[in-house]
Amino acid sequence: MNKNKLVMVIVVCAVSAIFFTVIFAQFKTVEETDVTGIRTAREEELQTMLSEYKTKYEEMEEKLTDTQNRIEEYEKMITTNENDSELLEEELQQTNMLVGKTDVVGEGVIVTLTDNQEKSIEPSDLRTLINELKLAGAEAISINDKRVLNMTEIVEVNGGTILVNTERVTSPYVVKAIGDKTYLSSALSLKNSGFIDTTNKVGKSAQMKAENKVEINAYNSDKKQLSFKYAKEVEE
Amino acid sequence: MDKIKAAITLGVVCLILTMAICVQIRTMNSVNQEVSKTFEENSLRDEVLKWKEKNDEITKQLDNAEKKLAKVRTDATKDDETASSIEEQITENNNLLGLTDVVGQGVEITLKDDPNATIESIGVFGDISEHIIHDADLRVIVNELKNSGAEAISINGERLVNTTAITCIGNVIKVNDERISSPFTIKAIGLPESLASIDRPGGYVEFIREYGIVFTMKRSNNIEIPKYSGVISAKNMVTQN
Repeated sequence: MNKNKLVMVIVVCAVSAIFFTVIFAQFKTVEETDVTGIRTAREEELQTMLSEYKTKYEEMEEKLTDTQNRIEEYEKMITTNENDSELLEEELQQTNMLVGKTDVVGEGVIVTLTDNQEKSIEPSDLRTLINELKLAGAEAISINDKRVLNMTEIVEVNGGTILVNTERVTSPYVVKAIGDKTYLSSALSLKNSGFIDTTNKVGKSAQMKAENKVEINAYNSDKKQLSFKYAKEVEE
Repeated sequence: MDKIKAAITLGVVCLILTMAICVQIRTMNSVNQEVSKTFEENSLRDEVLKWKEKNDEITKQLDNAEKKLAKVRTDATKDDETASSIEEQITENNNLLGLTDVVGQGVEITLKDDPNATIESIGVFGDISEHIIHDADLRVIVNELKNSGAEAISINGERLVNTTAITCIGNVIKVNDERISSPFTIKAIGLPESLASIDRPGGYVEFIREYGIVFTMKRSNNIEIPKYSGVISAKNMVTQN
C-alpha cells in the first residue's frame, strides 16, 4: 500500500510540473499579444506611406510629361525662330494663379469663426484651421478676403488685434478654401477630432459649409510685397 | 476510499492537462499567425521601399526637366523684349512658389528635445510630452519667422510652400508628407536682425526653453534652402476673369 501511495505522489508531482510549464507558456502568449498591437499599427503606417508615395508619383509623372512637352515646344521655337507667345502666356497665367496673384474660383468650403460672449477666437485657432485645410489639400485660402500664402503670418498684436499679411482682421472670421469639397468638409467635420468639433467643444463658435462655388481674392497686401529681396535663385 | 480519492485526483489533473493542451495549441496558432503577419509586413515594407526608389528616380528626372525647361525658355525668348519680360515673370513666380533652390542671408535654428528629461527628473506627476518638440511648436516658430519677414523657410530640408501642412502622427512630425524628427533644423532667408527677434524676452522661444527644449540660432550670409520636391497643382481652381 505504501508503495502505491508513493507512485501516486510521483504521478501528481509530474503532472503538476507539466501544468506549471503550460502556465508559463500561457504567460508568454499574453506578452506576445501585446506586441501584436504595435505590429498592426506599424502595418497601417506602412499602408499610408505606400498610398502617399503612389499619389506623389502620379503627380510627378504628370508634371514630368507636361514639362517635357513644354521643352519640346520651346525647342521648336528656337529652331523655327518664331515666337509662340501663347505658350509663354499660358505658363505665366498658370504660375500667377498658383502664386496667388489672381482671383480664383472653384469648389470648396467656407468656415466661419465668431467671437461669442464667453470665448474669443485666437490667432492659434486660425492657424490650426489653416494647417488642417492645407493638410486636406486646399489649393487657395483666405481669411476675411486676405489671401493666405506661403509667407502669410497670423499674429496677435496689442492684446487682441489679429493681423494677417500685416492687415487687421476681426470677428466674424470668414475662412474660404478651394479644394475637393468632400475631402475638405469631411476632414474638418470628423467626429470629436475634427476642427469644428474640437473648437465647439471648448465653447468657441465655428461653422462650416461646403460650396460648389467659392471665390477667393488675389493677394493684395501693399505692406508685405510678394517678391524676394534677400533670397536669390542658386545659379548652376 | 483511497481508490475514490485517487480517481478524483487523477480526473482533476487530466482535466487541467487537457485544458492546458488546448491553450498550448491556441498559442501555437497565434504564433503562426504572427509569423505570417510579419511576413506580410515585410513584403509591404519591400513595396514601400520600391515606391520610394521610384519616387526618388522620378524626382531626379523632374528636377532635370525643370532645369532644362528654364534654360530653353530663356534661350527661346532672349531675342524678343516682350517675351523675355514674360520669361522673367515666370522665373520669379517659380521662385516665389518655392520651386527653385535659393540662397541668401538669414538664420539657422536648431531645436532639440530636452536632453535631461528622464523618468526621475520629471517625476510621477510630470508630463514627458512637455519636454518634447511638437508640430504645434514648429508651427508657432515658423509663423513668427514669417512675421519677421522670412522669404523662404525649410525644416530639415523640407521647403515650406503654399500647400505645406505641419502635422504629426503618433510621435512622428510630418512636413509636406515627409517624416522628420528631432533635432530640427529650421533655415530662413530674410534680414537676419529681424529674423533673430523671434528669440526675445517673453517670447515663445523663452517659453519652450523653460521646459528644457534646446534652441540655438546662428546668423549667416549664406543660408541655402532647397526647392520643394513635390508638385504644386490646381485641380479644383481656375482663375476668375
